[in-house]
Amino acid sequence: MKLYYFSEMPHHEFPDAEGDKYPSLRLAFPNTFFSPEIAHRNYQRYLDEYDFADQAGFDGLMINEHHSTPSCVNVSANMTTGILARTTKRAKLLILGNILPIQENPIQVAEQVAMADLISGGRVLSGFVRGVGVESWWANTNPVHNRERFEECHDLIIKCWTTPGPFRWEGRHYHFRHVNPWCLPLQKPYPPIWVPGTASPETAVWAGRMGYTYVPFLVSFEVARELFDFYRQGAAEAGRTVTPDKLGFLICAVTADSKAKALQAGRNFVWRMGPTLRGPLEYFSPVGMRSRAASQFALKARSVSLSKMSYEELVENYYIVAGTPDEVVDRFARVQKELGIGHLLLEAQESRMDHATTMRSIELMGKSVIPAMTRI
Amino acid sequence: MPPREEVIVVGNTKVHLLVGGQGDPLLVLHGAGGNRGWRRWMAAVGEHYTVYAPTHPGFGRSDAADWMESIDDLARFYLWFLDVMGLSKVHLLGHSIGGWTAAELATMRPGVIDRLVLVSPTGLKPDEGEIRDIFFYPPEELLEYTVHDPTTVPEWAELFGGKPGLEEIEGALRNREMAARLTWKPYMFNPRLAHFLPRVQNPTLIVWGREDQIVPLICGEQYRRLLPNATLRVLERCGHLPPIERPDVFANLVLDFLRRA
Repeated sequence: MKLYYFSEMPHHEFPDAEGDKYPSLRLAFPNTFFSPEIAHRNYQRYLDEYDFADQAGFDGLMINEHHSTPSCVNVSANMTTGILARTTKRAKLLILGNILPIQENPIQVAEQVAMADLISGGRVLSGFVRGVGVESWWANTNPVHNRERFEECHDLIIKCWTTPGPFRWEGRHYHFRHVNPWCLPLQKPYPPIWVPGTASPETAVWAGRMGYTYVPFLVSFEVARELFDFYRQGAAEAGRTVTPDKLGFLICAVTADSKAKALQAGRNFVWRMGPTLRGPLEYFSPVGMRSRAASQFALKARSVSLSKMSYEELVENYYIVAGTPDEVVDRFARVQKELGIGHLLLEAQESRMDHATTMRSIELMGKSVIPAMTRI
Repeated sequence: MPPREEVIVVGNTKVHLLVGGQGDPLLVLHGAGGNRGWRRWMAAVGEHYTVYAPTHPGFGRSDAADWMESIDDLARFYLWFLDVMGLSKVHLLGHSIGGWTAAELATMRPGVIDRLVLVSPTGLKPDEGEIRDIFFYPPEELLEYTVHDPTTVPEWAELFGGKPGLEEIEGALRNREMAARLTWKPYMFNPRLAHFLPRVQNPTLIVWGREDQIVPLICGEQYRRLLPNATLRVLERCGHLPPIERPDVFANLVLDFLRRA
């Protein structure tokens, strides 16, 4: 099983009581609490940690993007990937991912991913996501078009990578008369495509049909298995066989020299389960963004909100893994056994987890956990 | 005369329609909240006019129209609706996004309209302030902004008092989705509308609630300036729903205005 390092690049250097005064940390919490000086230092730190994860032996580095939120100030997955393409040597660069429905120019996305793939020597894994509703507000993109735009944007990007230009694109949402990108991926026909999922059965079926690698984020084993069943349904429709290499899973994880230290560090993940997800439903799932089936599935999948779970419950139910390297190996093995996955994505830094703790966790993962995982 | 429900086919789209009353035709276009049924003000106006109250495509139980993109699409649809109904000239009344639709329709074919009533219409960018983002709030919070004082609303219990059933919840979701489809960007206005409104010479009554927290009253003043024959009437102690919040006053205003035809 392959392991991936992931940091959301949080900006949690403000008093929590200030955040509590607003309906949500996303969209509503004023950016007067953003500190450019702190962000300058944080970006250096977070990029150093990514570089170290590459050196420590992680199979991949996952990079994501959010907007209008202190929970993630990585505002450009492609920019970060471009940096890491140059500073890292061997790990795959998993962009998970570009938020397709909010893109105004899919050709530029195709070009940027291609450029990162070229700089990195063909190490890019190109994830495509629908985004949470917050991103639709940020971009002012009509959420009722979210799925249509996702699929059309995807289709145009793939065409950019597979069809010699120039050509014309006249879709429903995208219109380009002269498509001829002079930047194409090194990997052929194009970088592997990954798709995350939290609640949408349609996305799982679609990913299966397309043969893309599918990764549920922070759900229970039971829900993940149901989503994988939808994925297999789509794969079967297209006559595809599903191997572990097509299935991934994302959890939060930290290790340390002692169990007590690891459990202490793991508490930092609670912030991303609660306060950063707090807010009106309309922020996270604006009107029309989810189908009725997805809404019903989401209700079931989140019958108990992550924010309502105690730290102990989050640990017990594998949303958070925190322990010594040996304990972490056991926990990861259990995840693999439960889900039959080939990729485990680790959100490995959060909130106020300090640099030293993060670096030590990466180091221990490299020394003890990653070698053990290669045997699973 | 009690209203009857009909289903009208316009192009490939089936539209639910309430028809009631007697007299010259009055077409009523509802707001983003959907067709609220045969209301008290309609019964009063229906004593003198035949009220046609369709449910917009994509709303309530009318067919979906996912191909529509904007309010001017809806306006063109209603021109077609009038053809299908054989109505060559109507009084036209629209509320909120229905008012915006009525204004767009009037700029397209003013000759098909006799008198025009715009009730708290969206459609213009406010010179000052903003149109509240109705999609940003939970429905219950939005209702607080929409109605000035629930205790003065005669039909409150019937309209908003009960716990909605599954069909009502699904209907409300459809209404919000279609409203979002039509109005998302630019939010609730058409930057070109102001340039076309001077074409509309029809006598026009604009009605606004003084306490409207959805669409600023200044939009009413802008409509009045841009429409050559318009009067603006502002109702005190009233929010964004004059026909619901002040049904008797509203019905009398409309009747007084239409009778001058």
